[in-house]
Amino acid sequence: MIGEFSTPHALVDATRTMRERGFTHMDTYSPYPLHGGSEALGLPRSKVPLLALIGGLTGVATAFTFQTWMNTIDYPLNVGGRPTFSWPMWVPIMFELGVLLAAFSIFFGLLGLSRLPQPYHPVFESEAFRSASTHGYWLSVEAKGEQSSERISQELGALGATHTEVVKGERE
Amino acid sequence: MARPAPSAPIPGEPLVELPLLEGRHTDAELTHSLLYPVDRRGGRAFWALVLLALAGVGYFLVSVVVTVLVGIGAWGNNIPVAWAFGIINFVWWIGIGHAGTLISAILLLLQQKWRSSINRIAETMTLFAVMMAAMFPLLHLGRPWFFYWLAPYPSTTRTWPQFRSALTWDMAAITTYFTVSFLFWYLGLLPDLASARDAARSPRKRWWYGLACLGWRGSARHWYHWRVGYLLLAGLATPLVVSVHTLVSFDFAISQLPGWHSTIFPPYFVAGAIFSGLAMVLTLLLPARRVLRLTHVVTMAHVDALCRLLLVTGSIVAYAYLHEHFIAWYSASTFERSIYHTFRTGPFAPIFWLTVFCNVLVPQLFWSRRLRRNLVVVWVAALLVNVGMWSERFVIIAVSLTRTQLPSAWAGYSPTWVDWGLLSGSISLFLLLFLVTVKVVPPVPISETKELQRQVDEAEAFLREVEATRGGGGAR
Repeated sequence: MIGEFSTPHALVDATRTMRERGFTHMDTYSPYPLHGGSEALGLPRSKVPLLALIGGLTGVATAFTFQTWMNTIDYPLNVGGRPTFSWPMWVPIMFELGVLLAAFSIFFGLLGLSRLPQPYHPVFESEAFRSASTHGYWLSVEAKGEQSSERISQELGALGATHTEVVKGERE
Repeated sequence: MARPAPSAPIPGEPLVELPLLEGRHTDAELTHSLLYPVDRRGGRAFWALVLLALAGVGYFLVSVVVTVLVGIGAWGNNIPVAWAFGIINFVWWIGIGHAGTLISAILLLLQQKWRSSINRIAETMTLFAVMMAAMFPLLHLGRPWFFYWLAPYPSTTRTWPQFRSALTWDMAAITTYFTVSFLFWYLGLLPDLASARDAARSPRKRWWYGLACLGWRGSARHWYHWRVGYLLLAGLATPLVVSVHTLVSFDFAISQLPGWHSTIFPPYFVAGAIFSGLAMVLTLLLPARRVLRLTHVVTMAHVDALCRLLLVTGSIVAYAYLHEHFIAWYSASTFERSIYHTFRTGPFAPIFWLTVFCNVLVPQLFWSRRLRRNLVVVWVAALLVNVGMWSERFVIIAVSLTRTQLPSAWAGYSPTWVDWGLLSGSISLFLLLFLVTVKVVPPVPISETKELQRQVDEAEAFLREVEATRGGGGAR
């Protein structure tokens, strides 16, 4: 069940009310991030920063280990008797690889957490839903058991939805 | 809080001289106007520019083929001037890229609202500038097909790269810089590609944009992770701005050559990089905002802010020049004094003074508010800064090399037609890639502009509320 609202405030308020009334499996769709939208849905803390930290530390550790092994142990080059374990010279690449792997973790981590790429989703069945990325503010509520689509439609209408529609399809 | 009226007037706040968005636009209008460059077929001027760029790319291809077949001997390089146009172009292009990252990442972290209309153009510029930059060291290898020797891979010779060399650092810095810039650009693009998909009229366009946006549907979960990730990537890109040109400057600073061996190089190069990049942003932005009909989102406020930044970074560069020459004199080193004397009075002195004119004197125009808002002056000044930054690198790299410590090894330098072909050809290729890209992807971030419009509305509603309560108090 999807419903369109005309302003972002109406959508956020409606989301909060619906959640308080015990509806689950909800999601909002908007052309830009909504102020207070994730709080209204009660989303848990994003795991993206954790992934970034793990990626960054992996990069730094990998760069340190590889450079030490390659230039000190496996193929030591004696340049004018300078120490072969000259770790300060490895800092630039440690930094760069740390940034690189952190960036990869953020990018692929956030795609994974958002379950993208996802070429098909039931909401795309609705032609009117095309406004979700341009100027519409949508709320989706899964109809299940006693929470029939008629009841959801009534609730959404009462909360100010300008348009409601049923879309059918498999989740994921 | 009161709901904002749909057509609120821009409040006359004393600190806000120029509006960030001209007029008030609904979400649907913004979608339409910002997708205009993508929706419309290119006009005659567009195709004329594409043809011009293609001609330049032809010259470029000939130069590349000659370089690969003949070798570096086709260039004007000699001994001792072993580094010339190849490295000058590399440093120039990579420096240009830095302003894009500054605008997209540092200004995002500093919550500068004006970045959001111009960050896509600046990031696109960064991507292609880094691509152009990366080509030159590869060509300079003479045998570009062995470029992978720089990467650590288990070879049958059982050797490994020397990680104490600035050249391996360079390779790591540039590949990381390009990758992170690309991810940042693409991540910011996802919601806009979804807008382009949903606003597309032909099914074929819809299919391609649908594929490119990876099925983005603007879900709260998408936005939630996207926001966190975007901010974190900006945080990562920020030290990259400083580090990449620092590592490039190490190529010079850690050598023994007079004119190169200097500790001021890292900050000097970073400031110069941002300076040249801002100039390139202005060079591209001023025609683009008019042709692509973006004057309502890229306003005089943006031009004004960019000019101020140009003045600030230009002043840092001017200080670095002064400092360099002072330290050369103060060091009392014969070689240092001699090379800086050569810069000022030697055979390449006109190029040095051209650098001073373009990079030190021209930005001083922007102390004047009137000149900051005169688009012709700004555009010409930006072009001059581009020229000035290229000639600065010519003086640092090629002129320093003509005078080494050993006078018997001194030599002159003159570029060949292949050198000029690579320089002008890389500019043409850059222009071509930029032109194609602004026709394919939305050149202004649509979602961010809508968010900005919402914030402007709320600020205005707040102002009105404050004024209403104040007015009520005064009447009593």
